[in-house]
Amino acid sequence: MARTVSMTPGLASFLRSLKNDPVEASIEHLISLLKRRQIHNSRPCAIATTQLLLQVVAEFKGKDSDILISRVRHVGQKLITAQPREMAVGNIVRRVLALIREVIEGDEVTEGSPISESPSSIQPLSTPREPSHHPGLPSSISTSSPLDHSGAGHPIDSSPHPSESSSEAISSVHRPVLTASHTSYSTAAPLATSLFGLFSRPETPSPASTPRGFQSPRHGDNPPVPIHQLKGLTITDLPKPVPDDFKADVLDGIREILDELDQVDDQIASYALDHIHSNEIILTHSSSTTVQKFLLTAAKKRKFTVLHVESFPNDHKNTRATMVTGRKNQGQAEEEEDVDDRFSPLTAAGITVVLIPDSAVFAIMSRVNKVILATHSVLANGGLLAAAGAHAITKAAKMHQTPVVVLSGVYKLSPVYALDLDELIEYGDPGKVVNYDDGEFVENVDVVNPLYDHVPPDLVDIYITNLGPHAPSYLYRIVQDHYRKEDITI
Amino acid sequence: MGPKAKKGGGNEKSKSAEEEREDPLQAVVLADAFETRFQPFTVERPRCLITLANTPLIHYTLEFLANAGVEEVYVYCGSHKEQVEDYINTSKWNSTSSPFSKLEIIRSTSRSVGDAMRDLDKRNILVNDFIIVYGDLVSNVPLEAALAEHRARRAKDPSAIMTMVLREAGRHHRTKAIRRKPVFVMDRNESSSNRCLHYEEMHSLPGGRYTSIDEEILTSTASLDIRGDLIDCGIDICTPDVIAQWSDNFDWEVPRSGFLYGVLKDYELNGKTIHVHIVEDHYAARAQNIRSYDAVSKDVISRWAYPLSPDSNLLHTQSYKLQKGNVYKEDGVILSRSCIINGGTVLGQGTSVGDRTRISKCVIGRRCQIGRDVQLEGAYIWDDTVIADGADVRQAIIANEAVVGKNCKVEPGALISYGVRIADGFTVPGTARLTRYRSEDDGNPIKGETDPAAVGDTGEGFQFIDPDADEEEVEADTSGLGKLAHMNLSTDSISTLDSEGDLSDEEPRHHDRDAGGSMVSLVSDDSSMAPQSAADFHHDATASLLDSLQKGDQPENIALELNGLRMATNASESQVRKSVVAAFMKRVSQVMEDGATVQQSVETALGNFGDLLKRTMFDQNLEEKNDQVDFMLLIQADMVHRSKGDTILPFVARQLHAMEVVEEEGFEQWWNDPRSSKDAAMVQVRMKTEPFVDYLLQSDDESDEDEDEESEEDE
Repeated sequence: MARTVSMTPGLASFLRSLKNDPVEASIEHLISLLKRRQIHNSRPCAIATTQLLLQVVAEFKGKDSDILISRVRHVGQKLITAQPREMAVGNIVRRVLALIREVIEGDEVTEGSPISESPSSIQPLSTPREPSHHPGLPSSISTSSPLDHSGAGHPIDSSPHPSESSSEAISSVHRPVLTASHTSYSTAAPLATSLFGLFSRPETPSPASTPRGFQSPRHGDNPPVPIHQLKGLTITDLPKPVPDDFKADVLDGIREILDELDQVDDQIASYALDHIHSNEIILTHSSSTTVQKFLLTAAKKRKFTVLHVESFPNDHKNTRATMVTGRKNQGQAEEEEDVDDRFSPLTAAGITVVLIPDSAVFAIMSRVNKVILATHSVLANGGLLAAAGAHAITKAAKMHQTPVVVLSGVYKLSPVYALDLDELIEYGDPGKVVNYDDGEFVENVDVVNPLYDHVPPDLVDIYITNLGPHAPSYLYRIVQDHYRKEDITI
Repeated sequence: MGPKAKKGGGNEKSKSAEEEREDPLQAVVLADAFETRFQPFTVERPRCLITLANTPLIHYTLEFLANAGVEEVYVYCGSHKEQVEDYINTSKWNSTSSPFSKLEIIRSTSRSVGDAMRDLDKRNILVNDFIIVYGDLVSNVPLEAALAEHRARRAKDPSAIMTMVLREAGRHHRTKAIRRKPVFVMDRNESSSNRCLHYEEMHSLPGGRYTSIDEEILTSTASLDIRGDLIDCGIDICTPDVIAQWSDNFDWEVPRSGFLYGVLKDYELNGKTIHVHIVEDHYAARAQNIRSYDAVSKDVISRWAYPLSPDSNLLHTQSYKLQKGNVYKEDGVILSRSCIINGGTVLGQGTSVGDRTRISKCVIGRRCQIGRDVQLEGAYIWDDTVIADGADVRQAIIANEAVVGKNCKVEPGALISYGVRIADGFTVPGTARLTRYRSEDDGNPIKGETDPAAVGDTGEGFQFIDPDADEEEVEADTSGLGKLAHMNLSTDSISTLDSEGDLSDEEPRHHDRDAGGSMVSLVSDDSSMAPQSAADFHHDATASLLDSLQKGDQPENIALELNGLRMATNASESQVRKSVVAAFMKRVSQVMEDGATVQQSVETALGNFGDLLKRTMFDQNLEEKNDQVDFMLLIQADMVHRSKGDTILPFVARQLHAMEVVEEEGFEQWWNDPRSSKDAAMVQVRMKTEPFVDYLLQSDDESDEDEDEESEEDE
C-alpha cells in the first residue's frame, strides 16, 4: 500500500503540493504541518521554509522592495509562531530578509558610490574578499571559501577554485567568506579584525558601504559572467538596475540557500580528515545524517572506533537504524525521494561501531578521544540545542577533558540568545519515557520528556559548519554575517 | 477547493505506476454522539464545540483526521447544527489551506448513531473505505499501519468489513470508563489477522462481572485473546459494506453493542468479519463524559497527546507558550505579583488573576477575571468567566460568561452552565447542574425561571433537570432501544469530577447503560428491564413484521429484519415465535376482512413464508417437538380471540403442514398436549381441526421417511 505511506503529510507532500497550490494556501499548509510536527527537525524545516519563501517571492508582483520585505516578514512571523522551537525556520526567514536587503542596497550602491567597493572586487580571486555587509571587517583570514555555491550548476570558468566560481560573486554578498583557514580555528584573527571592524564600521549599514557592484550585471544574461570580466565592468559603467530586477536576484539568492541546504553535509564532511585521526575512539550521539556523513568521509581514509550513544527514548530507533543501514528508518516520506546509495552503514566501511546506552556515557568517556555531536540549532552565544542527552555527554567530556566537536550547518545558526531556556526546549510525549498503560502512575506522576538539551558554550570546543571550523566564541561573527540586525526580532 | 483537488491529483501522479488510482480517504465525524452526557452544557452549545484545554473538541478530531491523511470529511451533526456549521465554516478547516478537499456538514434528525449511519447510506456519499470517529476524539495515533493492514486484509477477503483501532492500557486508567468495560475476544491465530470474535461490555452491576463467550468460539478457535484492558475510542476503519450492514439492521443503535455485537453474532449468517488493530503507543481517548473530559484535559496538559498540547496552538488565534511545570500561558495574561500559579494550568489570553490567588491544575479560558484570594483547584473555567474575590472553586466546570460571586464556594463536581450567576457568599453543592436554559423537544433551548434556592438571591439560573427522563415513557414504545440508550445517559453526568482519582470508588447505583441494547441482554436475568424489553421486542417485531407483510416485502428481507431485532434485544426464541404468530395471524384476518375466503387468505398470508416460519423452530430433528407444539399453541391461543378462529385454524394447520413448517409429530404432540385443551375456549377453537389431525395421524407412518429426508434438506 504505497499510497498509505505517500499520503502521510510531511515534507514530501508539502513540496509536492507547493507547486500547485496558491501561495497563501501553502503558507497555511506549512503552518499546520509545523504545528502538527509533521515537519520537524532542522533540515526539513529549513527546506520547507526556503521553498515556501521562494514561492512567496516569485509570486510577489509589486516593485516596491519594502513591501516585499514586509511580506516576507509577515510570512516569517506566521511560520515562527507556528513552531517557535524550530529555529531553522526563523533562521531561513532572516536570511532571506537579509538577502533582500542586500540586493536592494546593492542596487543603490551601483548608482551611488561604486568606488567604495572597488578594492574588494579588484582583488585577485584567490585572496579573501571583503564581507559584504560588514565592510569594516576585512576577512583576510578567509583563504578559500567552502561556500556551497560551486555546486549551483553554474559553469565554473576561469576560477582557480571551484568555490570561487562566478556564482559566488552573486551571493557572497550575503554569505561572506569569513572562514578561518581549515586548520587553524583561529579566534584571534577574526577577533582582531572584528575589533578593527568595529571602529571602521558605520553606525548603520549605509548604501555606500555595501559592495554590491558585481551583482547587477548578471541580471541580463543568466549564465553568469565570469568574474574577471566583471571586474572590468563593475566599477565604472554598470547600468542602473531595472527596478524589478531585484526580484530575480533575490530568487537566485534563495535558490542558493537551497543549494546550501542540499550540500551542507558534504561540505561539513570535507573537514572530517582534519579532525578524525587514525585509531581514535569517537563518541557520537543520536541519528544525525550530518555526523554519519562526516564519519563516513573520515572512514574512507582512516580506521577508528565509534561509540554510538543511543539517545533513548526519542531517537533510539533511528539511531539503531542508522547503525545498521546508515540512514534513519523513520521520516519515510521525507527521505523517500532521495533513495540512493549514499547511505551506507559505517560498518560497511570497516569501522567498529559500538552502541552504548545513554547511562554509560560517563563511564566510557575516559577512553574517548573525541566527542562529535550533531545539533538541533546553535545559538549566537555559542551554546546549542541538541538531542536530549547531549548536555550529559558534554559535561562528561568536560570532566575528562575530551574535546567536543559540534557539526552544524550555518542554517542552524540562530541569532537568538538563550534567555529563556524553557521556551526553547521542546517537550515531547512522556509516553516514551513511561508507558501510558500504567494508569496509576500516569495519574499521580508528572513526567517530562524534553526533546532537546541546552548545552552552554563553554562545554563546546569547536564548531564545524559548512564554512569551516569555528570556536564557539566566534559564532557571533557568522551570525552577524548572515543576519541583519533589524531582522533579529521578526 | 479547486487547488486542493489538484493537490490530490498531484499525489496520485507521484504514486508508483502499478498502483491503481485510489479514491480519496473519507471520514465521518459523529459530532453529536446522541448522548446527553454533557448536559447541561449541551443544551445551548453542541458538544463538539465544548472546549478542552481551551480548544474546541472538534479541532482535535479534525486534526487527527488530517494527520491520517483523510481528504474528505463529513461532519454529522445532531443538535445545534447551525452553530457547528458557522464554527467550522469560519475555521481553518474550511479555508483554502485546509488539508481536506471536502468538508461537509450533514444535519439529520437522527437520534442515534444507527440512524445516522442509515441516513448516510441513503445519501450514498461513502464509496470508499472510510474512517468513523466521534467528534470528541483526542488522538495522535498514526493510522497508516492500521489502514495498510485494513486494505491488505480487504484485498484478500472482501468480507473483512471493519478494523477497529484500539489502544492498549492497563487495568485502571483515567481515560477509561469506570463502570463499563468493553471486553474483546480475539482470535490469536496468525491467519485470522486479529479477528474479533466476540464483544461484550462488563459493568459494575451485580451480574455484570461476567462475560459469556459462545461455546462455539471456544471450540472452534485454537487460541484466544480475551482482553479487557483496551481503550476503545471508537476509531473504526470501515468499508462501505459497514453502512449497508447498518441499513440492513434497522434496530442497531450503537456502534459497539449494537453493530459490532450484531455482526459478530451474525457471522454464521453473513460471514462478515471485523478485525482489531491494537496500538501500543501514542494517545487515544474520547472526552465522552465529564469524567473523561477531566482525564483527557489532564493528559493533553501533561503532553501525553503530544503534539496535541496547548502550546501547539491548534487555532490560529492562540499563542500558548509552555513554561516550567506544564504551565501554559497565552500572551496578554495579567498575573498579580502575589498570585501563585501551580503546575498543570492553562491560562487564556486576557485573563487577569488577582492578588494572593492560588491556582493549580486548572484550565482557565480567555478574558476571565479571577479576583483576589481565590482558590482554584482542578477547575475548568471557560471563557469570559468572572470569579469574584475570595471564591473557592474545586473540581468544577464553569462555562462561558458565568459569574461566581464573592466568597462563593463551589464544591467538587458542580457544573455551572453558560451565563449562570451565583450570588455572593453562596455555596454550590457538588450535585449542582446549574443552567439558565432548558432544552425543548425540538432542540431549541428556552430560558427557564431563576431558582433562588439553587443560585442564591441575586443569582441567575436553576437546577437542570434532564427532560429525557419523562420523555422516556412517552416514546418508549416507538423506539424502545434508542430510548433505553438515552434514558440512562443523563445519570452518567452525575458521575462527578471528584470521583476521579479514586478508581475504587465505584458507585453501583449509577447504572451506566450507554450500552443500550446489549445491556438488556446482559442483565436480562436479574434486571427489571427484561420484561420491558421483551414487551418492546414483541411490539416492535409484530409491528414491523405486519408492516412488511402488508407491503409485500421479500421474505428474506423480513427474515433479516426480524433477526436483527432479535439480536439486538437478545429476545428468546419463544418471544420471536410469539411475535411471528401474532403478526401472521393478524395478517390472515386482515386479508379475510378484504373479502377473501379463508383458504385464500391463509395461502396469501403464509404462502411464501415457509422458511421464515421454519426458522422460528429448532426441533425438526428432535423427538420432542417442543417448539412446534409451542408454535401451534400460540396460533391456537391467538385464534381464540379472532372471529371465526375455529374456521381459520384448520386451514392454517393444513397450510403449515403443506409447507412442512410443522411436522406430523408436531401436530400430534400439540394435539395431545394438555395445554391445547386446557379450557373451553381452547377446545372450542380446535374442534374443526380434529379431522385434519386425524388424517395426519393415519398417514403418519407412510410419510415418516420422506419427512426425515426433507427436513435434512432444510437444514
